[in-house]
Amino acid sequence: MHGLTLTLYALAGLGFVVQLIAGNTRFLGVLRVLYLLAASTLLSSFVAAWVSSGLPSAATPQQALSMLVLFSSLALVPLVFRERTAALAAFFLPAAAIVLAFSAPFSGPPGPVALAPHRMWYVLHTVSVIAGEALLLVASVSSGAYLLHERMIRHGDIHLKISRLPPLTVLDWITAVSLASGFCAISAGMITGGLWATATHAGLAGVAPKAVSGGIIWSVCALCVHQRFAVGWKGRRTAIMVLFCLALMAVLFVGMNTFFPFAHGVRLI
Amino acid sequence: MERIRCISVSHKSAPVDVRERIRMDGESLREVLDPDAECFWLNTCNRSEVYWTISGPDAVYGLLCRLSGFDRARIEAMSVYLEGRHAVSHLFSVASGLDSMVLGETQILGQVKDAYREALAAGSTRTVLNKALHRAFRAAKRVRTETGIGAYPVSVASQAVELAEHVFGDITGSTVLVVGAGDMASIAARRLRDRGVRSLRIVNRTYETAQALACELGGEAGRFEDLERELASSDVVITSTGAARPIITREMVQRAMGIRRNRPLIIVDIALPRDVDEGAKECYNCYLYDIDALQAIVDRHFAEREAEAARAMAIIEEEVATFERWLRSLSAQATIRDLYALADAIAVEQAREVSSKVDATVVEQALRTSLRRMLHRPVSFLKEHPDARHIEYVRRIFRLDEDHEDRHKG
Repeated sequence: MHGLTLTLYALAGLGFVVQLIAGNTRFLGVLRVLYLLAASTLLSSFVAAWVSSGLPSAATPQQALSMLVLFSSLALVPLVFRERTAALAAFFLPAAAIVLAFSAPFSGPPGPVALAPHRMWYVLHTVSVIAGEALLLVASVSSGAYLLHERMIRHGDIHLKISRLPPLTVLDWITAVSLASGFCAISAGMITGGLWATATHAGLAGVAPKAVSGGIIWSVCALCVHQRFAVGWKGRRTAIMVLFCLALMAVLFVGMNTFFPFAHGVRLI
Repeated sequence: MERIRCISVSHKSAPVDVRERIRMDGESLREVLDPDAECFWLNTCNRSEVYWTISGPDAVYGLLCRLSGFDRARIEAMSVYLEGRHAVSHLFSVASGLDSMVLGETQILGQVKDAYREALAAGSTRTVLNKALHRAFRAAKRVRTETGIGAYPVSVASQAVELAEHVFGDITGSTVLVVGAGDMASIAARRLRDRGVRSLRIVNRTYETAQALACELGGEAGRFEDLERELASSDVVITSTGAARPIITREMVQRAMGIRRNRPLIIVDIALPRDVDEGAKECYNCYLYDIDALQAIVDRHFAEREAEAARAMAIIEEEVATFERWLRSLSAQATIRDLYALADAIAVEQAREVSSKVDATVVEQALRTSLRRMLHRPVSFLKEHPDARHIEYVRRIFRLDEDHEDRHKG
């Protein structure tokens, strides 16, 4: 199932990239169906694993990555089905396929966390944090497209077929909305994570490294949101900050899981 | 097969002082052409052309000499005479904008359509030219939709619209500010209004001039002293004044960007000397293009259009081939009609012989149907391969010419 999902993501990604470069929208309908098929395959395996084990499969970093791809794919569905913003799939799908190649399928037992007495906090924490990160990924995709399109406009390269990207104001709006909603989801994840840790009596020592890394991401996100909405950093500056935020998130994710592999859910029980 | 002929006097073959002396009109053309000939004439600022059938070129050359006052040798040197496939191909290329001064422009298609309406009203075009013109319109449409020739704007106003669309998407809701009321500014403003811009503001040193242009274009006039405030409330600015020094400074743009909370602003400066301080380019979310920057984009667009023209020519060739097939099939029509007449005559004769025994009408109808069914295959063959050789064979096999003569004698 994981192999099939990966193949579908790779094929859809390739199709969207070719379509963007060729500037031809003749096969957009087919590509949209392929996109839906890829996301549905991932969703069905996620639901099946949740039903069989009673918990979302995010016990390992690899499973968390699969979940991140799933949530961001779902968040992008309305954009892929709009004529103007469909090109964003060309930026998202190849990245999603690469992430999926390093992730694990939603199968097997969810790990010792299943024994956690406060499942509800665990589920809420996992879902909201990964949903927040997925929305941040969508904001990053939109930011990347913004920077590329803006560069083309400044250099007058609007004759290139690839320049048929969504207009700058649309990309900026997608970035802003995804960033704001992602920030809300990450905030909810931080709160529910704290509640879960308290409920399992893990104490500060068990969660500290993850909490600190989560706090850093949340702070950078909060700064992005403030600059975008309060100071009025429309466009390029927000796009750069969002990409920085994503890079920081990736570094912290890899760092935490490399140097503090047990400093999270599994360690709490 | 009827041949279409064409004489073209265009920007490619004649200077403007010659072109302005040659304006075709239907009445004069019909006077010099064969009464059965069809004709179509086209006059634009860059070309005067005439297309006709049946008659030779001498009559039209004679008319051109009379209209222009030049002798035949000079007219021949400054015009192009085409016939048959070349004339049709030329008509299709003209309608598609491939023969225009600005390669791929669309205005010419409207002019060809207007000329066709005029010719239709005068009854100058019939079967052949009607079909040729409809095919020309079809070819033009295919060129627009199947190639990217129209996707690369080459005028300053179109360029401004294109840039604005890349930034804002739909520009109909954007506010456009035109600074200056000279020719360039008013052309740009007209184009923007034609592209659906609803909010158009015009600022000029002389308020009355701005008001006059605003009235003409359906916009609103603003005072020059309020330029900074106007900048803050506009999305696209086109400036073309005769000022010797920049009238929009970096500081003005900086302050305007602050008021508009960094909402993107596009400034197209087509004035020489420039109206906008170059430093304004550094302002966050301000996109400034001067005439050189626009020219660089236009040059790239021309190169892209040239590349697309090759694909467009392939479409033209396809359409010309289709039209020629149809034209050849016209000559088979008479033979097909004769074949059916022969079948009908046989059916009537046979029906008469048996009419005493059964109902004559039923028999005649049955025979007619049978014979037509029998003829279906040769007729289909003729329609698919309307070569003169095949038509000749059919006429000889069925002795259609003898029957034709007999029927006429009868």
